[in-house]
Amino acid sequence: MKKALIEGESNKKNKIIIGIIFISILYLIPILIKNQYTIHLLVISGIYIILASSLNLITGYMGAFSVGHAAFYGIGAYTSALLAIRLGWSFWVTIWFAMLFAAFFGILLGIPSLRLKTSYFVITSIAFGSIIYLLMVNLVGLTRGPLGLVGIPAPTPIKIGIIIMKFNTKVEYYYLVLTFILIILFLFGRLLNSRTGRAIISLREDNIAAEVMGIDVRFYKILTFVIGSMMAGLAGALYAHYVRFISPESFNITASITILIMMIVGGIGTFYGPVIGALGITFLLEKLRFLSSYRLMIYGLILFIVIFFMNKGIVGFIQQIFKQRRKA
Amino acid sequence: MEEFFQQMVNGIILGSIYSLIAVGLSQIFGVVHIIQWAHGEVYMIGAFMSFYLVTKAGVPYFIALILVMIFMGFFGAVLEKIVFRPLRKLGMMSTVLGAIGLSIFLLNFAQILFSPEPQRFHVPFLDKPLQFGMINLTVNRLVILLIGFTLIILLSWFVRKNIIGTAMLAVEQDMVAASLMGINVNYISMIAFMIGSAYAGAAGCLIGPLFLVYPNMSIIAVTKAFPVVILGGLGNIEGAIAGGFIIGIAESLTAAYISSAYKEIVAFVILMLVLYFKPEGLFGRKIMEKV
Repeated sequence: MKKALIEGESNKKNKIIIGIIFISILYLIPILIKNQYTIHLLVISGIYIILASSLNLITGYMGAFSVGHAAFYGIGAYTSALLAIRLGWSFWVTIWFAMLFAAFFGILLGIPSLRLKTSYFVITSIAFGSIIYLLMVNLVGLTRGPLGLVGIPAPTPIKIGIIIMKFNTKVEYYYLVLTFILIILFLFGRLLNSRTGRAIISLREDNIAAEVMGIDVRFYKILTFVIGSMMAGLAGALYAHYVRFISPESFNITASITILIMMIVGGIGTFYGPVIGALGITFLLEKLRFLSSYRLMIYGLILFIVIFFMNKGIVGFIQQIFKQRRKA
Repeated sequence: MEEFFQQMVNGIILGSIYSLIAVGLSQIFGVVHIIQWAHGEVYMIGAFMSFYLVTKAGVPYFIALILVMIFMGFFGAVLEKIVFRPLRKLGMMSTVLGAIGLSIFLLNFAQILFSPEPQRFHVPFLDKPLQFGMINLTVNRLVILLIGFTLIILLSWFVRKNIIGTAMLAVEQDMVAASLMGINVNYISMIAFMIGSAYAGAAGCLIGPLFLVYPNMSIIAVTKAFPVVILGGLGNIEGAIAGGFIIGIAESLTAAYISSAYKEIVAFVILMLVLYFKPEGLFGRKIMEKV
């Protein structure tokens, strides 16, 4: 008994050490890779990691199949950008408002999920995404419509003692996004292993059984939507202040579908799935550039093949192989 | 008042367009519960096929319509057999994503094959203007209204009177129970896809001359068709017509009296409201289970 405990503890220590080494490697990447374009792709996939993980909470863990997730992403981006441009607020303030606004709309989409069957909810989420997109296009006075918002400032530098951190270059932004991802994934992992996380997962398995077990289905469904949309809103703010220009086209249904594809290809309902999916799809689309106009066609085909042969995504596929080995 | 009537007529025409696209989707979504995201692409391919048949090969318009329906029906059956039948066994999420993959593939394939530029599908006799009292129409709009309705009534008759139609209703209600009763679910699913795709093709042929023909027309069609289907209730043909009319009329009235910018939003807002208050659709059968 005691031995097992000690082993468990040393296992935990090992895990922490491996984690620290891995994280330091992540922080060293800009020193190792000099190519600015690769860093740019890493920043973009970093933003997609947050998006795909947040969708994973709503769809993978809670089971509400949403095809309108880019709406929250867009709300976050526009909120933060507008507050920064019109009122001149600092990024560190606007980001909270981006999350707040996205969470508010998350509640709006969360309410129908309480009573709708999956296939109906899919359509509702599409409609929701379309409404938000069309509002971005048509509220010209506020969003400048299809012209988009220009001149979004970079995040304001932070002063810690004598060190001043700026976020103007790609490498600096890489560190910012990486730090955000690590914090979010850490909190996300804590959430999933908590009582709340288990309650959310129980909703996916069986609503009625969950309710019988004394889980407040209404509360947890809305809560999941609030957390998921807040994360997406944060990703939107990070995106807006990185590219400094946003237009509604970045937040249309194609964007929602991209996020969905990343999550499913990586592995739905797995912790690392969306991370791998976001990185994989971003780089895959880049690697396919040589195909020029055939690119998206081949992409559709690859997607299709993945769905057929790796139903549970890449992470699910790997887990399956491990399980089979263990049995053998 | 005059403008109001004109807008109502415009709305009805627009509504019949939406019902025509949606009625095929309603068969697929309603009977086999597959979110056929590539339905818009089937519609787009139908439009392109009739465009080439009529303007390049010189086939008479109405014969082209029949040819397109036959071809797209066959195409739908192939899609069901090689794509959706295997996907259906993998579960809901895989099916939706597979359909999205198919849609991306077909859309981009069409952009290479037909070029992404919008093209004008010109059929001389369709562009003649007509005037009924104070209401202006073109022959094209009248054709959409008449042929569209004939097709929808034919389908409604088929589903009511034919044994296959009855089997389709059975599959719609409970797939497992239907297969226990000796209904070949795969066969019914294929029939639903054939009908759905043939109707999408017909919609493409009828609507093509009214607007321009281009690959991205598929996305607009499918995002409008789903609200119409839900509004009317799944698998409900009369419901799809009513749903189409409600959205069509609401859109043209919004464009005329509020702002043309908000025309596009109306369909989705109506959909959200209906789903909040009456999730089985306005004309759906009351379903006892949780929707």
